[in-house]
Amino acid sequence: MPEASSSSSPSTLNRRSFLASAGVATASLLVLAACEDDNPAPTTDPFIALAAGDPGVLSYFYLLERFSAEFYNKVLAAPPTDLTATDLAVLRDLYRHELAHRETLNQVFSANGLTLDVNLPALEFKYDSFTLTTRAGVLSAAQTIEDMGVAALAGAAKLVADANYLQLVLKIMAVEARHAAAIRDLNQAGSFAGADVVPQTGTEAGLNRVLTPTEVLAEFTAKYSPIKLRADNLPTS
Amino acid sequence: MNLFQIISEIEKVDPEFTDRLTHRRSALSLLGDLGKKMALAAAPVAIGSAFNKVVAQNNLSTVNDVLNYALLLERLEYSFYNQALSAATLSANLTGAARTAVETIRAHELAHVNLLTAALGSAAAPAPANGFNFGTAFATYASFLTFAQAFEDTGVRAYKGQATKIPRTLNPTVGGNTVNLLTVALQIHSVEARHAAHIRYMRRGATAGGQTTIMPWIINSDANGAPAAVYGAGNPAADFPAEGNLVQAGVTLTTGLGTTYTADEVSAAFDEPLDNTTVTAIARSAATF
Repeated sequence: MPEASSSSSPSTLNRRSFLASAGVATASLLVLAACEDDNPAPTTDPFIALAAGDPGVLSYFYLLERFSAEFYNKVLAAPPTDLTATDLAVLRDLYRHELAHRETLNQVFSANGLTLDVNLPALEFKYDSFTLTTRAGVLSAAQTIEDMGVAALAGAAKLVADANYLQLVLKIMAVEARHAAAIRDLNQAGSFAGADVVPQTGTEAGLNRVLTPTEVLAEFTAKYSPIKLRADNLPTS
Repeated sequence: MNLFQIISEIEKVDPEFTDRLTHRRSALSLLGDLGKKMALAAAPVAIGSAFNKVVAQNNLSTVNDVLNYALLLERLEYSFYNQALSAATLSANLTGAARTAVETIRAHELAHVNLLTAALGSAAAPAPANGFNFGTAFATYASFLTFAQAFEDTGVRAYKGQATKIPRTLNPTVGGNTVNLLTVALQIHSVEARHAAHIRYMRRGATAGGQTTIMPWIINSDANGAPAAVYGAGNPAADFPAEGNLVQAGVTLTTGLGTTYTADEVSAAFDEPLDNTTVTAIARSAATF
């Protein structure tokens, strides 16, 4: 897999980054240790704190694209036998799109001298909360991932300061919404914009659900990441 | 303005157009092939776009201009689906799940109209006095879906074309709630993209036009029978490339990312923005208002 991780100058590493770097290697050990120990020790828990400004927001989007690309890679490596040819064609397209998104964002970092957190390309995602051995399980997982992706992009796009980066993010966002609708329609015909993602009534009627980075990273920390992901440094407005 | 360019635009939609230039009306009545009827119905849109390329640009100067532009497009879409749901010509096919889906989409468009009207307050432009006339759009179920695809895919491009003009820190009070205007626009943009994906999926059906290989995303600049202008470049093309664009962040993605990608893959992976003049011309060519 072409993981051209961008360089991170040691001189720019602050204490948090150092802790996080150290934490990645020992994360699983610490998680195990935490399970055996009732002592709350939040100050020493390993974590990755996404950076401030556009590098942080773009790192967040990179994380989402990496997570979805590797999900489809994993599914297509051992596809459930009850997936139809139509399902597989869609899943293959989604995989290639997510891969292209991830690598394009990677390119944005290197071409603009932005620092992608050194830990993000190496993070080992967990997909064990999903059932990947059946069609229903795979489509349900894909729906969760795509709906989260659209909501995350819609919720965080306003945090991007640079208009060129924003335009690129929007080009990706529209395609993620197409993905989400397509997967939902495969999962349950006609559910392309179900009321769980696009409310029919109230102040959010007709609007796609949004999620903040804090909400999404909490979800990652709970289910998909072996190490705590923190949004503290990301812009909030 | 170049007549050959215009004809060339139309031929992308209807390869036999030149043969029919002087007999359009009679040709329409003689055609038994649904696909050709659709293409012919769509031809005026291609004409509009070809003329429009001479002057097209993004020229909305204030946020209220942007919102009124969005309001017009949402009113058009709402009216389109509202008329479709009561069109006698569609009653045989627009049933069951298809009808439910179109009702859902209509409800979203109405919510968008209401939200934008509330956000604009006294600055909201009046709705077109004579409403929207969609000509032959509802002649067949297939032509209805072709127009729907064109409107939805154009809508997605239209929002992307204006989003960077909405200050990201603009948080007005709408209906008693503080909202971030850019986020609201992007929430609508995402919903339009969901609509576009579903409409494209609907077009796979035998009575819906039989577009058996169409995907929910836009591959290259393929129009699948919809007007080519919907997927073409705006003005300037550097800012508003055609949907078949392969260059993002300064890199030709087919060969520039380490791994090789096909043009189909990378063109589909990114949607493209479109300037308001081109979008409006497409709308005015598909509907009278």
